[in-house]
Amino acid sequence: MNRLVRLLIRDLKGSVGLSWHLLASQLVMPIVYIFIMGLTFANIIGGVTIGGARVSYVQYLAIGVVFGQLMLSASYAGAMVFFDKRMGMFEQILAGPFRRWEYFLSKILSVVLQGLFGSSVVILIASPLLIGLTPTFKGILYTLFSLIFASLFFGSLSLLISAYVKTDQTLNIVFNSILPPLTFVSSIFYPIEAMPEPLKYIALINPLTYAADMTRYGLFGITSTTILYAPLLLLTLSTITFTLAMHAAYKISL
Amino acid sequence: MVISVRDLVKDYGDVRALDSVSFEVFRGEVFGFIGPNGAGKTTTVRILTTLLPPSGGEAFVLGFNVVKNPVDIRCRIGYVQQQLSLELFMTARENLEVYGLLWGVDRQEKRRRADFLAEIFGLRDVMERKALELSLGQRKRLQVAREFMHDMELLFLDEPTVGLDPIVKRTLLDFIREKAKGEGLTVFFTTHIMSEAEYLCDRIAIIDKGKILACGTTEELKERFGVETILELVVQEGDGEIVKLLESIHGVKEVQPTDSKSIRLAVVDPYSKTPEILSLLSKEGYHVTELRVKEPSLEDVFIRAVRRRESRHE
Repeated sequence: MNRLVRLLIRDLKGSVGLSWHLLASQLVMPIVYIFIMGLTFANIIGGVTIGGARVSYVQYLAIGVVFGQLMLSASYAGAMVFFDKRMGMFEQILAGPFRRWEYFLSKILSVVLQGLFGSSVVILIASPLLIGLTPTFKGILYTLFSLIFASLFFGSLSLLISAYVKTDQTLNIVFNSILPPLTFVSSIFYPIEAMPEPLKYIALINPLTYAADMTRYGLFGITSTTILYAPLLLLTLSTITFTLAMHAAYKISL
Repeated sequence: MVISVRDLVKDYGDVRALDSVSFEVFRGEVFGFIGPNGAGKTTTVRILTTLLPPSGGEAFVLGFNVVKNPVDIRCRIGYVQQQLSLELFMTARENLEVYGLLWGVDRQEKRRRADFLAEIFGLRDVMERKALELSLGQRKRLQVAREFMHDMELLFLDEPTVGLDPIVKRTLLDFIREKAKGEGLTVFFTTHIMSEAEYLCDRIAIIDKGKILACGTTEELKERFGVETILELVVQEGDGEIVKLLESIHGVKEVQPTDSKSIRLAVVDPYSKTPEILSLLSKEGYHVTELRVKEPSLEDVFIRAVRRRESRHE
């Protein structure tokens, strides 16, 4: 079996073993967002019109919540490295038949797979609200593309940050500082057209905006101002972040 | 030759952790690397396992250069680090089997080895418990056992017995000895416990403050550092004259009365000198009621080696 696959299986077994409860608890927030906040706000907002199409607010929000969740679980990649370091497994694995890049790539692949799984579960939970949608094959490809590359971006970002901070506490502080702005200055909860002018521009450099918009386009067929270049931008951003992360991973000391 | 180290240097900023370290390890031997805490043992192991780059000098493991061919080395070695390292949220069995998976051991073999090692290391009853729930001693046993889930040519053991009770410690040392003598495994064993090194190792290097002080078999080291055997004599009635008498014997290096009847002698060649000592004492009217022989230990060698180094620096 390929070395990378072996590392990946170990990561997945470890993550699931570590956090079945954590995984389950991660579903609480999406459910609260979609079924409490979404349905309540839907009574106030009614619907969202973008690119000439109109969807209910709860449907709009459901996709945003998928990506909020995906960002959270992908950002676990850096924490996994710190956890391995604390448990002595980082040193143990690197003294084994693995290259350092294989170890770090396995972390990213692991969060991508976990992100895809978590997103699927959230979409499944939200499915009663999505009844009637008939996405095209192209739409499904768009959705998968956005899920995979958003996970890749946030997993790589997490690893990149973990290479420059010394402790897992600092890593938590950094993430707690950057995740909320990333979430709110994006199209997760509302279309960026509705945002104040300066924030709109910041949202336009946030990959979360592109990822959520691509999935909305894929599932609902609604288009936005960013949809034409969203795939290219997401691909470019995630590739750059991934390359930087793999490079920085060699800086992480034992 | 399995390990060849020449003039190895490691600097951490301004601190020189290894200073021109050179030694060789041969196939099938248990090589002890002994020294106090902070002597440079773990740094050496980390360089040889390719986890740390050296600052200078050269090191070859199994014929591969540690800087140029790290993966070739790591595919062929085992490593039990000093720090505890386990998948704490996995059971003992999962720890063994996942480690086997990482090394590409097939499913049936993984299970067979896990059961075998559980038996050897006394882990059978805790195999389905999470590592987090195990005692420190059990965790350490699991960590050592885990390394035998895969095949290797060379095993690095960095203070593996810390935290183990004497019985388990002896079981582990015997298991390692059997692996070396029976299966030809080469073992690089670091410890600061001299009796362990003496029990297990074919050859020993003494390291202190980043420098190798001596290297050889235990007997060679004892000889080189002139560590004498101690004879403890108890006589029926002693006096001041007996000390003078014993000091006059050629080969007796040090005479130290411990009380009015007991005397400690440092003797260079105890097996030929003892009859001579007893005969002389008898002739002079001293009746020896007890005779104990205390062989010099590696600890004595170590202390002598460190003192000799310190006296050279003064």
